[in-house]
Amino acid sequence: MEIVVFAQQVVNGLANGMGYVLIAVGLTLVFGVLRIVNFAHGEFYMLGAYFTYYVTSLAGIDYLGALVIATVAVAAIGVFANQFFFRPLRKEHEFTILLSSLGLALLMANGAEYLFGADPKYVNTRYADETVDIGPLVVTQQRLLVIAVALVMIAGTYWFIRFTRMGKMMQATAQNPEGAALTGINTGFVHAYTFAFACGLAALSGALVGPTAMLTHTVGDWAVLKGFIVVVMGGLGSITGALFGGVLLGIAESLGGGYISLGFKEAIGYAIIILVLLWRPQGLFSVGSGRR
Amino acid sequence: MITRRTLALTAAAIALGAAGSALAQDKPPIRIAAIGPLSGAGAFDGQLAIEGMQAMAAVINAKGGVLGRKIELITYDDKGVPEEGVSAAKRALEQDKVDLIVGGWFSAVALAQKEVTRDKIINIMTSSQHPKVTDEGHKYLFRLNATSTMMSDRYAKFICDKMKVKSVSFITINDDYGRLEVDNYKKLLGACNIEVKGNEFYNRNDTDFTTALTKLRSQNADAIYVSAINTSQGATIYRQIRQSGYKGTIIASAGNMNPKLVELSGPALEGVYSVSLFAPDTTNASAKAWMAQYGKMFKNEPSFIGSLGAQSVEVLAGAIEKAGDARNYDKIAAALKGQKWNTLLGEITFDTKGQALQNIYLVQVKDKKIVTAN
Repeated sequence: MEIVVFAQQVVNGLANGMGYVLIAVGLTLVFGVLRIVNFAHGEFYMLGAYFTYYVTSLAGIDYLGALVIATVAVAAIGVFANQFFFRPLRKEHEFTILLSSLGLALLMANGAEYLFGADPKYVNTRYADETVDIGPLVVTQQRLLVIAVALVMIAGTYWFIRFTRMGKMMQATAQNPEGAALTGINTGFVHAYTFAFACGLAALSGALVGPTAMLTHTVGDWAVLKGFIVVVMGGLGSITGALFGGVLLGIAESLGGGYISLGFKEAIGYAIIILVLLWRPQGLFSVGSGRR
Repeated sequence: MITRRTLALTAAAIALGAAGSALAQDKPPIRIAAIGPLSGAGAFDGQLAIEGMQAMAAVINAKGGVLGRKIELITYDDKGVPEEGVSAAKRALEQDKVDLIVGGWFSAVALAQKEVTRDKIINIMTSSQHPKVTDEGHKYLFRLNATSTMMSDRYAKFICDKMKVKSVSFITINDDYGRLEVDNYKKLLGACNIEVKGNEFYNRNDTDFTTALTKLRSQNADAIYVSAINTSQGATIYRQIRQSGYKGTIIASAGNMNPKLVELSGPALEGVYSVSLFAPDTTNASAKAWMAQYGKMFKNEPSFIGSLGAQSVEVLAGAIEKAGDARNYDKIAAALKGQKWNTLLGEITFDTKGQALQNIYLVQVKDKKIVTAN
């Protein structure tokens, strides 16, 4: 019986962790390629969830279709966000850009409260309440969907960056922006593309993870915090780091909360970052060179 | 012939007439501070609360107001936390010099806020359930909601006698209210031999409860009692309980049922019981008038928390009318404690500590509606 409970907690942690992975990948990409610490990343997560809600409830489109529409729409908004909030500050100090992202985050969160209202909403998907029994373990279809999509997206992103032309341009821009520009890469275009890609990923994670709880305009704060914990654990700019960091965080929270104390659950993430920053600030899994 | 006397009399008449109409137009409104959670985790509940107050104020103002004066509500945001509740009450009292204060939606806030208003201004606490709000109150302090002790007495009787459960596990919010709930129920349910198998605390901003629910589920109790003040968290918990595969009974904590919770929780809340001071299928005339006005003004459905806000405005209006003065707090307090009040939630009285003695109804969610159960 005890082993079943343990296994269930591990599965819970894995499901949560994969959600964190999805949030963190976009964040780490934006840092790697654009050198931007984007506090507004969580707000794109929030937008992804809200767009999915409105598309399913107002336009009557089914959940999966709405998810795709939301992802594309928010990626497009990402292009504008980059154009107006980050591109003009390209030559400024990183801290200035960070403040700009903070301002954008506040604008988006409060704008969402104004536009969508303070009442909680629920993204109704038929997967959220249906459970799947794996032996004695129980997990909802929605969480399995999160795990599946996260794995696909990680693999896809990794393959994209390593093997496609655009991916290689992103790598080059990340390693050495001036050098990349000198070889003829349009770094402005790479930046816009990467940012849009990251916002799309954030929106996708919002659309997928959102239905596991109620939706309010403050979910972005939660999302970006989780994203940052994972990114620090995994190493800024590292995709594989995000994968391992996310899963590790999810399982640590679940086991810590289950066996030590539930009050601990939130604290574990913060405790881990402090330890990582003190002991191995480049991240637990990063392979290092060319990154901060 | 127009004598000097006639002229003088006419002038006097015109002057009096002008003064009279000026007075009637110039009567300042009665200013009531409405301090509630307008942002943060309780924002939606705060919105429902203020809407309830505004609807009742509109009903009363349409009938001419109180002592010929209109009721004006001034809202303040306490963000659901004690520090903000205290600073809002200070601002209302000292800077904005309001006539009366309505607040204390969350127990933690009420406990801190009553110290700011201590013996200075009439302060009606609304939905907070912690007994110390009135036990350690003051001469101008009143509280509308039944205390968690009063609710748990009634509810425990029902759980013991009617629901066929032999064991219960609890999932509780980690604050003054939650901790008191667990202590109360452990005693009351223990008294009728229902075993309390365990309790897990969760925090105000948590959105994922799977860890706690996995632990509770493994305890295999006949029922899980959910103590959740916040609509958004409550709905998430109810859904996640069913999503964890738990097949037993769900008992919803007293006084936290509202239509939005029913809407958001979906199938997870069907058949679930609770206790409330407000049943939407009531036949009370004042309640029906209030609900009609509420429907004209707001999109949300009238809720229990809104009805408490409405009741605060209703009894204040009655007491001020009786006392004849919106700032004579001794007279208003005496008026409130001195008679039975016919309100939208039925007949109530206040005891010497300012605690309202309300009618507690058993309710159940049936076909997505909250109805009176028996």
